[in-house]
Amino acid sequence: MPTLTGDSVRLLLDQVAIDVESNKDFLCDLDGEVGDGDHGVSMTIGMRAVRRAMDDLPPDPSVEQAFQAASDAYAIEVGATIGPLYEVAFAAAAQACSGKADVSSVSDWVQIYQAMFDAIQQLGGAELGDKTLLDSFHPAIEKLASLEGQDLVPSLEQAAVTARQAAEATKELKPMKGRASRLADRAVGYQDAGATSLAIILESVAAFAAHVRS
Amino acid sequence: MKKLINDPFDMVEEMVDGFLSANDDIVRRVGRRSIARVASPIDGKVGIVVGGGSGHLPAFAGYVGHGMADGAAFGNVFASPPARPVVEATTAVDSGAGVLYLYGNYAGDCLNFDKAQDQCREMGMDVRTVVLNDDVASAPIEQADRRRGIGGLFWVFRIAGAKAEQMASLDEVFEIATRANANTRTVGVGLTSCTVPANGRPTFHLEEDEMELGLGIHGEPGIKRQKVAPVDDIVEAMMDMILGDLDYSGSEIALSVNGLGGTPAEELYVVYRKAREICDANGLRVRHKNVGEMVTALEMAGTSISLVRLDEEMSALLDSTVNTCMYKKP
Repeated sequence: MPTLTGDSVRLLLDQVAIDVESNKDFLCDLDGEVGDGDHGVSMTIGMRAVRRAMDDLPPDPSVEQAFQAASDAYAIEVGATIGPLYEVAFAAAAQACSGKADVSSVSDWVQIYQAMFDAIQQLGGAELGDKTLLDSFHPAIEKLASLEGQDLVPSLEQAAVTARQAAEATKELKPMKGRASRLADRAVGYQDAGATSLAIILESVAAFAAHVRS
Repeated sequence: MKKLINDPFDMVEEMVDGFLSANDDIVRRVGRRSIARVASPIDGKVGIVVGGGSGHLPAFAGYVGHGMADGAAFGNVFASPPARPVVEATTAVDSGAGVLYLYGNYAGDCLNFDKAQDQCREMGMDVRTVVLNDDVASAPIEQADRRRGIGGLFWVFRIAGAKAEQMASLDEVFEIATRANANTRTVGVGLTSCTVPANGRPTFHLEEDEMELGLGIHGEPGIKRQKVAPVDDIVEAMMDMILGDLDYSGSEIALSVNGLGGTPAEELYVVYRKAREICDANGLRVRHKNVGEMVTALEMAGTSISLVRLDEEMSALLDSTVNTCMYKKP
């Protein structure tokens, strides 16, 4: 069983940032089909700021500090729609981890993800089925919650697989939020970029946790 | 991608540096990505703060100066600025008479400007907002609150800016901005895609012989993709949409033809010629006009036509002088 301390979360977020940036072109392509083609760019700008913020953290940060620094990075650097959404999401994750020395159980991560989800939904106002990142996040959290008490790494992995499948299934949905919403029917058949970047993040978290174990 | 840039992720920063340096007689820096008029806050004057993604110059920062806006926030390319630079600009221009936000109707801009507005109100500033939505093609009239803001925002900035310059109250400036926006309609047409520098590839693809009616200023798909037609036919289709959306009869009109960044001024005048002909044929009295780049989309080729239905007050305000970073009128 890996133990994910504040310093682990610092390294984890650094790895998440690397993985998101390496998908920049893919995410831009998805967004270009129905939006304005900059989702990969906005996420990369945010994640580069996250990496700088992780570098600037004091030694042995708390879990809460690491997530809060990621929130601040998005707040200052990104803008767009995704900036405020990930700002509140990471801030909610920080709050969910307040006082915890480590986040090593499935239940810890259910709480983190659920807090992020709730914050995004509250700010963005989207409903499930609106073709947003909520549509890949929600089934992943449900999956993870069904695995409470089990080993962390395989559980995170299953949640990530669920997120990826759900992101691909957004092809069938009509967008109701954001720029893509204005073309409604024309967007059917294209996978949502925000749902996809969320899945990439969950995959990255799972891969990092697996790496800590070994 | 062929662009005059260094690292694409540094472009906005380097553009802001150059913009400030080139316009230091009119604006000063008030944050990493926020500017204000040199003289601001101006005693007793309502401050107007504009902003949005980069990639649209002269919108938005180009309109900071006498007769239009007092401050602006720069976002990344095609991405709304975060709340922070908006708060910085607001703080810099607030004389105590209040601040009005004017920006285009996009989810990101609404989120971030609303957040800035909340923060500024908590600090005790009087801030109000008019979200601009002139793009006829982006949603049907009954869903006007979903329409985007594009080329017509030039006129709203002009009208509200002129009113604020007369030391009108925040209520008055808010009211006339709302009125100007409600009476402005725009339709755009895109001939080519554009490339967000940090993306590196064109946002979308149009065939050599294709154009898109209603294409958005970030490359958002429009309502109809078709073969490029003679410009008179294109302008007729655009004007049909505008005149079908708002009854302009009997009013004085402001007419503008905006270049999206990759279309030469010569073509814009050909567009203007036909648009004017249609206005005249419909008995519309064109009182104010502008032809040139007002709200661009990087190097996208294409144009947008805006018509404002003026009343006496708006028309008179448009006679005032303007001296902004990128638009001047004696």
